[in-house]
Amino acid sequence: MAIIEEPLALTSGEQHAERPLGVLTRPQANGSWKDWVSTVDHKKIGIMYGVAAMFFFLLGGLEALLIRTQLAFPESGFLSADVYNQIFTMHGVTMIFLFVMPSAAAFANYLIPLQIGARDVAFPRLNALSFWVWLSGAIFLNTSWIVGGGGADCGWFCYSPNSGITFSPTNGVDFYVIGLLITGIASLVSAVNLAVTCLNMRAPGMSLFRMPVLTWMLLVTQFLLAFALPVITVALLLLLFDRQFDSQFFDPEAGADPLLWQHLFWIFGHPEVYIIILPSFGIISEVIPAFSRKPIFGYSFMVFSGIAIGFMGWGVWAHHMFVSGIGPISVFAFSMATMFIAVPTGVKILNWLATMWGGKLNFSTAMLFAVGTVTMFTIGGLSGVTHSLAPADTQQTDTYYIVAHFHYVIFGGGVLGLFAGVYFWWPKVFGHLLDERRGKIHFWTMLIGFNLTFGPMHVLGLQGMSRRINTYSSGFGFEFWNLVATIGSYILGASVLFFLWNVYKSKKEAPNLPAPGPDPWDARSLEWSIPSPTPEHNFDEIPVVESQDDWWFRKYNIEDDGSVVRISSAEDAAQKGDAVGVHLPSPSFWPLVLAIGLPLIGYGVIFNLWLCVVGGLLTGGAIYAWVLEPVDDPDADGHGHDDHHDGDDPDGELATVGAAGDHTEGEG
Amino acid sequence: MKTIRKREKPVSDSRTRLLGAVALIGLITAGCAGDAELDTLQPQSDNARDIDTLLDRVLVIAGVIGVLVLGAVVYMAKKQRVKSYDGDDEFPEQISHNNTLEIGWTIVPAIIMVVVAVLTTVAHFSLNETEANAYEVEVEGDSTSWEPKIVVVGQQWWWEFRYYFTEDVDADFLDDPRNLPPADIVTAGQMVIPTGQEVELLVTSRDVIHSFWIPALNGKRDARPGFFAPWEISADEPGVYFGQCTEFCGLSHAKMRMQTIAMDDADFQNWIDEQMVPQSAPPEDPDDPVSRGATAFLANCSSCHLVEGFNGDEDIAAAVVSQAAPNLTHFASRTTFAGGILNTYTEDGEWNRDDISQWLRAPEVVKENYANGLPDGELPRGMPNLGLSERTISDLVAYLETLGQKPSAEILAATEVE
Repeated sequence: MAIIEEPLALTSGEQHAERPLGVLTRPQANGSWKDWVSTVDHKKIGIMYGVAAMFFFLLGGLEALLIRTQLAFPESGFLSADVYNQIFTMHGVTMIFLFVMPSAAAFANYLIPLQIGARDVAFPRLNALSFWVWLSGAIFLNTSWIVGGGGADCGWFCYSPNSGITFSPTNGVDFYVIGLLITGIASLVSAVNLAVTCLNMRAPGMSLFRMPVLTWMLLVTQFLLAFALPVITVALLLLLFDRQFDSQFFDPEAGADPLLWQHLFWIFGHPEVYIIILPSFGIISEVIPAFSRKPIFGYSFMVFSGIAIGFMGWGVWAHHMFVSGIGPISVFAFSMATMFIAVPTGVKILNWLATMWGGKLNFSTAMLFAVGTVTMFTIGGLSGVTHSLAPADTQQTDTYYIVAHFHYVIFGGGVLGLFAGVYFWWPKVFGHLLDERRGKIHFWTMLIGFNLTFGPMHVLGLQGMSRRINTYSSGFGFEFWNLVATIGSYILGASVLFFLWNVYKSKKEAPNLPAPGPDPWDARSLEWSIPSPTPEHNFDEIPVVESQDDWWFRKYNIEDDGSVVRISSAEDAAQKGDAVGVHLPSPSFWPLVLAIGLPLIGYGVIFNLWLCVVGGLLTGGAIYAWVLEPVDDPDADGHGHDDHHDGDDPDGELATVGAAGDHTEGEG
Repeated sequence: MKTIRKREKPVSDSRTRLLGAVALIGLITAGCAGDAELDTLQPQSDNARDIDTLLDRVLVIAGVIGVLVLGAVVYMAKKQRVKSYDGDDEFPEQISHNNTLEIGWTIVPAIIMVVVAVLTTVAHFSLNETEANAYEVEVEGDSTSWEPKIVVVGQQWWWEFRYYFTEDVDADFLDDPRNLPPADIVTAGQMVIPTGQEVELLVTSRDVIHSFWIPALNGKRDARPGFFAPWEISADEPGVYFGQCTEFCGLSHAKMRMQTIAMDDADFQNWIDEQMVPQSAPPEDPDDPVSRGATAFLANCSSCHLVEGFNGDEDIAAAVVSQAAPNLTHFASRTTFAGGILNTYTEDGEWNRDDISQWLRAPEVVKENYANGLPDGELPRGMPNLGLSERTISDLVAYLETLGQKPSAEILAATEVE
């Protein structure tokens, strides 16, 4: 462990400017709220992602409850058709872009560096930028309720020409377009950052095939994001130009083919499904082994099936378009491709079951959520197979059967998995456990509410209830199951509130309970080898990794006869978190400032182009200041304390938190 | 026509099959569905039956897999559960992989999917073969060999159906959905087909994307502006079959419905004969509400709606975004109006004065639209509220009743959704 006394030297031998432009300095962490807005610490950023995502989960959930309230009874007048259309659109957009994706980003941010033995991500300031840009886009998107004449009313898929200015003349769609463009920037920046982190920042000995499955799945996700987001960005820009500057990319009157939008949207939209689900697959691949007391079964099959899903996910987009009129040969090809994506997915399910098989299963809350994920995702996966039958899909598509399917996948497979992760890593993040008894109540109410809400939708869909209808007539046999689904949704909503109460109560009770220690679950990966909560510098010493599940093998040994012998307690084997003088990147306000400029440009495009100038100056100025700000604060005092940040590397910050942890070698 | 909405299979049969698949979610579906008019599991045509058979087979496979997976989880939860690991230093056998097993369970799902793929392939290509045979109809006294083909046009928020008996309907003939050649019969909300015949549909749209779907007769097909998507429909038995637009098409998407009426040959011929007759102006008589209604129609409705033989020919310029409003020539011969959501006749078979009046009085209340209070230069979408007086409304309702022949009692009965 090198103790750094000076800012890192530049390879060119030049000296750092002390105060560029005479004013620019780096802020210091001093324990105030400014620590949060200027932070570049992956853990703080991860927590902020999680908190903001939770907020949008509540918002999207409120929208869901409004939808279900409207549909509880036939011919209900609770919401007007116009408001209903806005709400179901914003429910989808909010849940996908503002809840599930940032939740996955929260886990990725917090855990990737810990799981690979790094002190931070590759580009800490870019990481802060991702968060603030995402948040500004998310807020921008939702301000359409206030200043845009309502939310977008075109569905999250926003098919042209219904999304055009003729058919959707309010500004809702403009907010959708620009909001998603802004959050897209955030996801793209973050994808590059985290992929580089996985590839370049691993601790010594942490080869790719020793990375935990979660990190692997997150890595695959980052590649999916990096390739999928440019496609939706193109589509959104074309739509923006159609709506704002009278171009005709999607105007059938001018000879445009509305299928163009559909192809672009789903080439993004289908990989997006895997962007949503793979992080959750990764999470439960950590949770299930820990609570089965066995290693993950078939690590390499798990990794390769994840990669296979990542690849095959690009070849199935047109299964969203089986009735669009793309021709029988295209339909056939995409039908076949879709079926065979079930194979790697099936492998994953069987490997999770095999991990549990013969194990000692401890049904903690995290394990309950993980097993819930496996089973609910299986149901969603199997109904997915029935859509891959192109002829059957002509009956199912755009009915509630599809709504049932993708909620089993996204909520059952995605969100339950995220909750497994929340309960599992909570002590690592906050230093205390979430109460298990309340956690189990949370799980069971959520599982029951979830199945009551979305299970009946299978029946409704097969009975012919269309999606996206704001009301239905009595007499079609829809009444009973709609009411059941609505009751289920209230139970689901209550379970979420109960979770928040558990968070509150657990925090209050924490001081009276024993601390969880570094490794409360007797788990396997590196994040459990450091104190809880994670110290700001993560690792006292960057670990040298000798095997897959390295941390577990520091506690246990497998004898020749196959028996397991404890060689050290977790407390003894864990790092103490007392290193001093660790060199961490300095905070910066510029990512936040840059992010504030983007929505101003967005408002400018919609309302008054002069606002674009203001936003552009803010963004451009922030980039300028970002580049020129010093590597650390020249007035900063000593370098002895571990949460004191000093030094930064203008070469791209990569070396600053170098994997080897030895900065005298790191910056070359 | 005799049989209406015949249920080939008892309801409990299809419920049981459904149960096989959804039992895994712990749902008891039997007995709750009742009479579902849009049910996808009660096929009434060859195509719909092929789809249903394919789905049934795969649902069984999926159900078995689902039960096995969930069963394994429940079994392990029962057998292998421990309360906690406190003080327990005994570990299960640390098996990290088994390549044979894993290759096995990569191959087995692949084989299952091959089976599913073969079933799908067979069904898919047979469904995409069009087998429309020529069908003899009499048009204005001449016997014509009609290749049953109907042009289906969606717009916000109703469906139009166009019959061309003598022309060869193909893509050259129909190049622009907004400017279609005059048809022999134009109807709205309700498509009439001969029973037992494969009828080819050319599905298109005049504005946004819609989707044409009669679940009992076939899957759905999107109506896309600028394109004519081929589709096929047939019905085993005479009856009224319900449908709903399934592609989200804006504000009143929920209230865009349609029906297909299958008639036996004689009834179908009668229907054609009736539809081919144009209307004429009623004799002028200020004391006759029908006559006053006709005058009110010319004053208030005729810039959008056409009554052939009375207010013009097919080239009427409709002042709405889609450039089309329902052709009302045989309004009273249809059992439904306002985009398939209201019935033209009451349960007792009487002219539905109340609903028709309400539609003329406040269409935006019946079905939300963008037709009133628009900014300058924006064309309406949907039926505007014309601010008609109660007297005008009552006259119009009387006039509309004279447009065409009242449908048979069987059809009227079958149109009621219980």
